[in-house]
Amino acid sequence: MISCWRAPSGRANHSCYDGMNAAQSSTTIHLHTGPLVWLVAAVMAIAVLAVPGRAFAHAALVATDPADGAVLAQGPLQFSLTFSEPVSPLVLTLVRPDGTQLPLTSYRLDGQTLAIDNPERLKSGTHVLSWRVVSEDGHPVGGSTLFSIGAPSAAPVAGEPVDWTLRTAIWAARLLLYAGLFLGVGGAFALAWLAKDRRCGQRFVAAALLFGLVAAPVSLGLQGLDGLGAPLARFAAPAVWKTALETSFIWTVLIGLIALGLALLSLAGPPGLRKLAASVALLGVGGALAASGHASSAEPQWLTRPLVFLHGTAIAFWAGALAPLGLALRRRPAEARAFLRRFSRAILPVVVVLAASGIVLAVIQVQAPAALVHTAYGRLLLLKLALLLFLFTLAAVNRWTLTAPAEAGDTEVQRRLVRSIGIEMLIALAIFGVAAGWRFTPPPRALAIAAAQPVSIHIHTLQAMADLSITPGHAGQVAASVVIMTGDFGPLDAKEVTLVLSKPDSGIEPIRRPARKPGDGTWRVDNLVIPIPGRWNARLDILVSDFEMMKIEAPIDIRSD
Amino acid sequence: MKKYLLAAGALCVLGTNAAFAHITLETQEAPVGSTYKAVLRVPHGCEGKATTAVRVQIPEGVIAVKPMPKPGWTLQTKKGKYEKSYQLYGETLTTGVKEVDWSGGNLPDEFYDEFVFRASLAADLPAGQTLYFPVVQECGDATDRWIEIPAAGQNEDALETPAPSIKLLPKK
Repeated sequence: MISCWRAPSGRANHSCYDGMNAAQSSTTIHLHTGPLVWLVAAVMAIAVLAVPGRAFAHAALVATDPADGAVLAQGPLQFSLTFSEPVSPLVLTLVRPDGTQLPLTSYRLDGQTLAIDNPERLKSGTHVLSWRVVSEDGHPVGGSTLFSIGAPSAAPVAGEPVDWTLRTAIWAARLLLYAGLFLGVGGAFALAWLAKDRRCGQRFVAAALLFGLVAAPVSLGLQGLDGLGAPLARFAAPAVWKTALETSFIWTVLIGLIALGLALLSLAGPPGLRKLAASVALLGVGGALAASGHASSAEPQWLTRPLVFLHGTAIAFWAGALAPLGLALRRRPAEARAFLRRFSRAILPVVVVLAASGIVLAVIQVQAPAALVHTAYGRLLLLKLALLLFLFTLAAVNRWTLTAPAEAGDTEVQRRLVRSIGIEMLIALAIFGVAAGWRFTPPPRALAIAAAQPVSIHIHTLQAMADLSITPGHAGQVAASVVIMTGDFGPLDAKEVTLVLSKPDSGIEPIRRPARKPGDGTWRVDNLVIPIPGRWNARLDILVSDFEMMKIEAPIDIRSD
Repeated sequence: MKKYLLAAGALCVLGTNAAFAHITLETQEAPVGSTYKAVLRVPHGCEGKATTAVRVQIPEGVIAVKPMPKPGWTLQTKKGKYEKSYQLYGETLTTGVKEVDWSGGNLPDEFYDEFVFRASLAADLPAGQTLYFPVVQECGDATDRWIEIPAAGQNEDALETPAPSIKLLPKK
């Protein structure tokens, strides 16, 4: 005989009481009988007490208030659970939308209904009323009822701490890398192709290139740190660099280093190679930017990568020319006039390419206009657009009102042009700074994709296996999809499939949801609400035939966003 | 007096089984190679609804099944091939009842009833092991399935809806 299960509350099994009474009465009867009978009586009593038979309770939940899945305007004063037979509660817990647990200790039993007082004002979001009860006969059963105040919980915000030192370092290194690529390589190109006197601005360009050459590998290391979530102090750790080498950013750094090197070569190398090296270096800037980053990784790739390439090359052309041009105008206005003429002739198509590629990329990334305001990425874009507007205005004034008199030799206008170019430079730097800030703000497109990613697990047992996907794979309103097979990959035609989710560490007893069969070979549970993120236990109860049920289970990690 | 004591003891042992909510078999032990009278005890409906059908699957090795008709219920059996042939009173049995259905009845949740069949437990059934009789209880559109069989090493008490079972004793 299998021994009786005892309720954790220490409450004895009902049947055990019967047994005890019977044993006592039999003992009384036998006060005057022989030792053998005594022995039998004692054995019997022990048998009854120690092995009190099987527990047979099965209290089923019949109704709840609030109903499972209900959405309420405000929290109820009390909850009620009605069972198919009288029960007594073992554990009653309210799990709040943030995952914290509130033990419910004040309750009343009214026949088969358990009325539980709600001790607090409930905040909006999905709550779990988790119950574990024992029925008269000692068999414990548990379950969970979900209800929402206001609306089902959106995924709670992940509160990951930000390492601001590391962030600042990453941002600064990125800014310097941009300066090296755009001002350095772009400057070298302008010196090679546009300038008449290559001495003006050469030092500035060389300095920018050197900054870039230092910033590129530093950026890579910081990328590794960020990938591992390691502090700045571990910059030299091999694991950090190994991680960095596995990211796509390595290509940006490699191509960038080549471009920076070629640009240096065009400054200092043999004159025959100057223009070629500068051109390849300029294209390298576009290539480096297209090799990694949010914009390059967006779909459709055939469009975004070339656009990023064009965008980056155009920026380098424009921004790079500003410093040599300004310096040339200030120091040697006479020689600078040809430079100015060539630049102003070339700049218009370049700006058109720059703006067009930028607009298309922005549309792909932001998707909905509202995201401009609601996401950090969008706000940075707005800031960049404002700076650009200022820059374009300045550039247009330079181009259409100042350039002609300056080319004609008007010294006063030339001075104004130099000042204006200086301001343009500063704005360009500010724009680089903003763009470097995008490193930390996934675009709305990526946010949407990341949020929609399902979480999937494969459960494999001898009898059956299943692929369970929960889409999206974060807490909140989700749908589950299940494909079941026999243990040896054969088809498994089940009569019913029930998804049972529980989270014992958060005090959440099983949430049972029957799956339906849409006819495409899968089983689905729609309108499933997963109240909190974390590691859940997913069990599939597969009814193979009328008389055969298989239960397979595995943990599944639900993201917070 | 001794008899009285034993009776009281037996009553008390039985008493431990008298409180229930699962569907169970009344006699929970039987020797292999014997005739077994199976009494399925139905203590309540499904989630408070009245029971309208009880179906029991006959495990392999339980042969020559004869269910007892029940007034107010339609009795049906499903026959099929046994996995192997069995010898019973000099006869070779290869097919027989695999499922017994009592349907079309109405047993309110607050009442108790029993469903009976008689069968032979084949002599070569493994003594010492447990034999399970999965039962499906239907209550109109609700269904309770008493079909869970514990996995190796699993405690039967952990099951929510265990299948009724008997322990096989050595042949007498």
